[in-house]
Amino acid sequence: MTSTHKVTFDNAAPVEVPTGATLTEAAALAGIVLNQPCGGQGRCGRCVVKVQQGEIRRRSTLRLSEGDIGQGYALACQAVVEGDVSIHVPPQEKLERRLVTDLTASSVAIPDGYCYAEHQTVQRIPLRIDPPSMEDQTDDWSRLQRSLRQTAGIDKISISLPMLRKIGQILRDGDWEVTAIVEKSQSRETDSARLLDLFPIHFPKEKPLWGVAIDIGTTTVSVWLTNLITGQVLAQTAEYNQQIQHGEDVISRIIYDSKEHNEGVLQKLVIETINKLIERACQRAKAKPEEIYKAVVVGNSIMLHLLLNIPAATIRTSPFINVFNESQHILARELDLTLHPEAPVEVLPTVASYVGADITAGALSSGIADTEKTTLFLDVGTNGEMVLGNKDWMVTCACSAGPAFEGAGVVDGMRATKGAIEEVWINADTYEPNIRVIGGGKPRGLCGSGLIALLAELFLAGVVDKSGNINTTLNTPRVRTGAHEGEYVVAFAAETSHGKDIVITHVDIDNLLRAKAAIFAGYVVLAEGVGVPLNTLEQVLIGGSFGQYINVEKAIEIGLLPDLPWENFHFLGNTAVRGAYYALLNWQSKQRVNEIAGKMTYIELSADNAFYDAFMSALFLPHTDLSLFPTVVKLKEQNQQG
Amino acid sequence: MALELPKDKWSGSVQEVVIGATAADGGTRTAAVTVGGETTMPFVHFEAETPNRPVLALEIKDFRPNDWSTLLLDVWGEATNDPGAWAKAAEEAGADLLLLSLSLTDPEGNPNTPEAAVKAAKAVLEGSGLPLMVYGPGQAEVDNELLVPVANACQGERIVLGICEDKNYRTLVATAMANGHLVVGRAPMDVNLSKQLNILIKDAGLPLDRVLMDPTTGALGYGIEYGFSVMERLRLAALRGDAMTQSPMSVNVGFETWKTKESKVGDDVPETWGDWEERAISWETITAITLIEAGADIVILRHPESLKRVRAAIDNLITAPELS
Amino acid sequence: MAISGIEIYKMLPKTNCKDCGFPTCMAFALKLAAKQVELSACPHVSEEAKAQLAASSEPPVRLITLESDGHKLEVGNEVVLFRHEKTFYNKPGFFFLVKDSEEPAAITARVKEIDAFAVNYVGIDLTVDGFAVKSEGEGAALAAAVEAVRAGTKRPLILIGDDPQVLSAGLGKLDGEKTLIATATPENWEAMTDLAVAHKASLVVTAGSLDELAELTPKIKEKGLPNLVLDPQVSNFNDGVVKNTILRRMALAKNFRPFGFPIIAYPYKAGVPEVEIALATQAITKYAGFIVLENFAPETFYGLLVLRENIYTDPQKPIQVQPGVYEINQPSPEAPVMVTTNFSITYFSVANEIESSGLPGFLLVADAEGMSVLTAWAAGNFDAEQIAKDVKRFGVEEKISHKSIILPGHVAVLSGELEEELPGWEIKVGPREAVDLPAYLKQVA
Repeated sequence: MTSTHKVTFDNAAPVEVPTGATLTEAAALAGIVLNQPCGGQGRCGRCVVKVQQGEIRRRSTLRLSEGDIGQGYALACQAVVEGDVSIHVPPQEKLERRLVTDLTASSVAIPDGYCYAEHQTVQRIPLRIDPPSMEDQTDDWSRLQRSLRQTAGIDKISISLPMLRKIGQILRDGDWEVTAIVEKSQSRETDSARLLDLFPIHFPKEKPLWGVAIDIGTTTVSVWLTNLITGQVLAQTAEYNQQIQHGEDVISRIIYDSKEHNEGVLQKLVIETINKLIERACQRAKAKPEEIYKAVVVGNSIMLHLLLNIPAATIRTSPFINVFNESQHILARELDLTLHPEAPVEVLPTVASYVGADITAGALSSGIADTEKTTLFLDVGTNGEMVLGNKDWMVTCACSAGPAFEGAGVVDGMRATKGAIEEVWINADTYEPNIRVIGGGKPRGLCGSGLIALLAELFLAGVVDKSGNINTTLNTPRVRTGAHEGEYVVAFAAETSHGKDIVITHVDIDNLLRAKAAIFAGYVVLAEGVGVPLNTLEQVLIGGSFGQYINVEKAIEIGLLPDLPWENFHFLGNTAVRGAYYALLNWQSKQRVNEIAGKMTYIELSADNAFYDAFMSALFLPHTDLSLFPTVVKLKEQNQQG
Repeated sequence: MALELPKDKWSGSVQEVVIGATAADGGTRTAAVTVGGETTMPFVHFEAETPNRPVLALEIKDFRPNDWSTLLLDVWGEATNDPGAWAKAAEEAGADLLLLSLSLTDPEGNPNTPEAAVKAAKAVLEGSGLPLMVYGPGQAEVDNELLVPVANACQGERIVLGICEDKNYRTLVATAMANGHLVVGRAPMDVNLSKQLNILIKDAGLPLDRVLMDPTTGALGYGIEYGFSVMERLRLAALRGDAMTQSPMSVNVGFETWKTKESKVGDDVPETWGDWEERAISWETITAITLIEAGADIVILRHPESLKRVRAAIDNLITAPELS
Repeated sequence: MAISGIEIYKMLPKTNCKDCGFPTCMAFALKLAAKQVELSACPHVSEEAKAQLAASSEPPVRLITLESDGHKLEVGNEVVLFRHEKTFYNKPGFFFLVKDSEEPAAITARVKEIDAFAVNYVGIDLTVDGFAVKSEGEGAALAAAVEAVRAGTKRPLILIGDDPQVLSAGLGKLDGEKTLIATATPENWEAMTDLAVAHKASLVVTAGSLDELAELTPKIKEKGLPNLVLDPQVSNFNDGVVKNTILRRMALAKNFRPFGFPIIAYPYKAGVPEVEIALATQAITKYAGFIVLENFAPETFYGLLVLRENIYTDPQKPIQVQPGVYEINQPSPEAPVMVTTNFSITYFSVANEIESSGLPGFLLVADAEGMSVLTAWAAGNFDAEQIAKDVKRFGVEEKISHKSIILPGHVAVLSGELEEELPGWEIKVGPREAVDLPAYLKQVA
């Protein structure tokens, strides 16, 4: 008995299809194109539609929750028409957001209750000063001090020699109506305030007062240019750390730095990187670097030592000791930063050799230090750093993941910027990929999230085995033997912006496996060491420069993240720079970071071979112990059947 | 007072594996060998009996080996020039099964050929009715080139093909599947790597009752403690129900011990090492018994005297003791 | 039973006062869980917490010490059934049997030979630990035999006999020593206990069954002798595994105090040298604390000594291979020399790739404290100096006709320094990953 059925999509004209047709086929007839990155295999969930009237048969409900089904959702490629139906196609962009956490940096929420007057240490103070006269012979500086005391309640203030040389002229140029930029001293009761700058005019209230939060990563440096008055972040820039030319990892940098003739080279490179980023941010926000009056810097211990040109050799060898952990207060001119020369540069505190200010700041901004919930906070960078705990206790450890997740150390890796492949789906029958490129257009390489998605898809499609070996016997031009044994071509030269093939090689896969295994092993050992089973974690907070774009299910499929319900994961983007930003705005937040640093307990992973064991068992897709990843096992089985 | 014996409750067991096929099962072997099936840590009789004894294999070569200790060449004598005769001698020496390990080159240094490998395997099958294991020379490409024709030629004999490693297992698994054979997988002294290899082999389609694992053991004095612990851990995992660690364990004690200085040479060694031959045999025996205590199911040896001594220990180990 | 760090943390004051010497209460809790500190280091802990935490601290297998002039042997204190769970701590002592029915001069000569035996294994001299003197007649004979033994060795002794008076005569010659005497039975235990107490000796206890043994040891302990050793009367391989497993499992897993003592094994009772070795092999792997042998031959005793070293190595240390030069595929002097570290997985992956390339080569395995190339380099254990040292130490130059060495690509940075350390050598940089070695070797060959 063949019969046809009427299918109606939203307001489009109804189409007739035979029994057994899929909604995808019906949609095509109706002239509606549905996203199908996975090629209609029911795996990606992108073609979800809502059945408004009638019934369809769902061949697969993978991707749909009970609730979704209850509300009538179905995957068009898996929905078989057996009667008349009326279908709603939701806007497709919205759906992507359900799958990819796209917490882009474009809008940073200003911390609740931020009050410039109360919390900010750098203040712009308009002054009307009584001019001197024969009767009032007070000197210029005392006159300025008196005015600051009367206007802003600043009792004690110091001034630098270069400023002292200028104030007489400025006061008179402004006809005694001037604006002072002052660093107050709330956080340091005994210290005095400092006069940073003086202008012979009064500024409009809307004019921003600039500050900058800086995260120095081993691979990536990030800068947030902030209006200290409103708290708004007006430009964010990121770039590879130029130190990379002298080594991809911290150890290479330390070794390079400890050679006599290299003294200061790495400091110069990182400062150049920061200055470049500040320059770029200023262009975007129409600001000038010398108008930036405050900076807060975070980074791992080694990056901070190198920034300040402090010998870091003792961090490398046992017993791994930092020269300093405490927060530091430095001036921009001491570091050749292009900020205002008098601008304070606050370096936040570190905990141990491999637990730096990026983590103490991250613990603040992620909220782990304020929650009752048992929380795992991961900061994934070249070093994977992690914190387990809650507001009462925190343990932390670090492991070396390598730069793969930042797109470095991989043949066709790149940062997550325009032209980077950030998402991949592979058809399990044809092995053809379907990619999404940041900014659209032709791809130039693969960023961290693209690499994670690619590895997950290669695994699910059967292109690589659980050990990461590429199956070179597959009948597809995408798989071939290259310089590093097997490789898979994600995009052929003709499809790329630079006219070269984009591939992932066996060695790249090994690097990715090691990176994910190190991170997984790190938090497994941390959790076991303390006695908190992974499945009792109430939330997992993820930071890192890849964390903005990562796709949680792909990360679970490769065994990077634990197999927990998706809603337990929260992606926070770059938590380090966010923590720096909080400290930039609020002196109390800065004190809070100091408290957090004092509360963290550092666990050295090299103390026994528990880490090694955990690492070896994680060096597999998704893991040697498959029972840890039940949903991935199920998915793989369904994929093989389908 | 009567003690309550400290029995552990295990949920899993070692996979039972049959090597070799008799005429009734489509082969020509006089008897098949069954290994595995244990439900306790090794020989803990008060929990359960040991269903299958650890079996002993003797290793023979397709060509007289130029890198073996003269002690071994002397004890096997002329038989080393003829794999069929060597197989017969090994059976007479009391082996339960045979390992034919193929050479990389013939005695003249020419690369070994598939024809020669098949001929050697046939000769061994004719020389002895024991079940057979066949290993390639240990280079992925050569192994595949030699073992595939051997597997074809021995179809139905239920031989063990080796050695699968994580970078080279597909070909051997495919030919084992096509010809009704078994494979042995070897991982370098790590519980996780052994388990991972088993998963890969199973994913490639071979049922687990046709898989053996060689955890790589080291020899006495050369890493045996790692092999010992990896084996104990694998057995514990198997008993706890982890299916991917339940393959019977095959250990190549002959290979491991006869490359040590203690066994291989008699000259230029410290006087405190004592008599060469007895030392070499002890080295092989101590290594074998240690690994049997850790859970070895198949022990491959080279010297007939070692085999005799290890067999005596096994004979007693597998019988339940009287607990007075 | 082990308590986790977080459980201990909950019992602590949670003030992070640092009085214990650790930065946080959690840090202290984790150290306590690992049994690396004493609870008493915290001055603020509650009585209740003390009571709860103390229960898990008594050693499940008692430490037994034998001592004589210049020698000390400690056995026991074991905490795990399988060495990978932590480690086996105290190696079993090897004792050679001497019978008092032998001629004193013959006894002295035999003891001297065994006492002097020392065989070097990885830089350590391995020796016997002591002698067991077995009484076969009157006290005078035992006393004479003990004197004859003492004329040949200063090592600790075990005296074996069933008559307390006879043993007393032997012990009379061992004033000031800590000896082990055997054997207390359900029949003679009271007198044996008195004797042991009087001479500060430890006492081997046996009984016809493990049930009776479990009844006997508490009685002796109650009589004031806590230093006991168990003899489960092992007669063969099968009951050796079974009985020793029961004893050790009861002590560790069930915390059954009557079996909380080291075990003595008597492989010599087999009467056949090769069976004696095999039983001793089993005793080493299966929980024996004292092993009494009779047949002495360097070629077999060497193997047993090495096995004991191996099994009692701390498994928490990274798996290492012996540093040295490994020859792969029968290299001629022209073959290339590659260098890597002595971490086992690193070694295996490199060696396997060279082997499977079919090309001959020398692999110099440098002593990098068992770390992988990158880790060792990071920690400063795999630098130019170390490589140059090992090139010389293992005589690489004598094996080859060229002067060139291939570094792992990951440590390409070392090539400059290595040129300085090895003047006249050509330093080549190989691939970063082992998997690329065969292609590289084909290209340089």
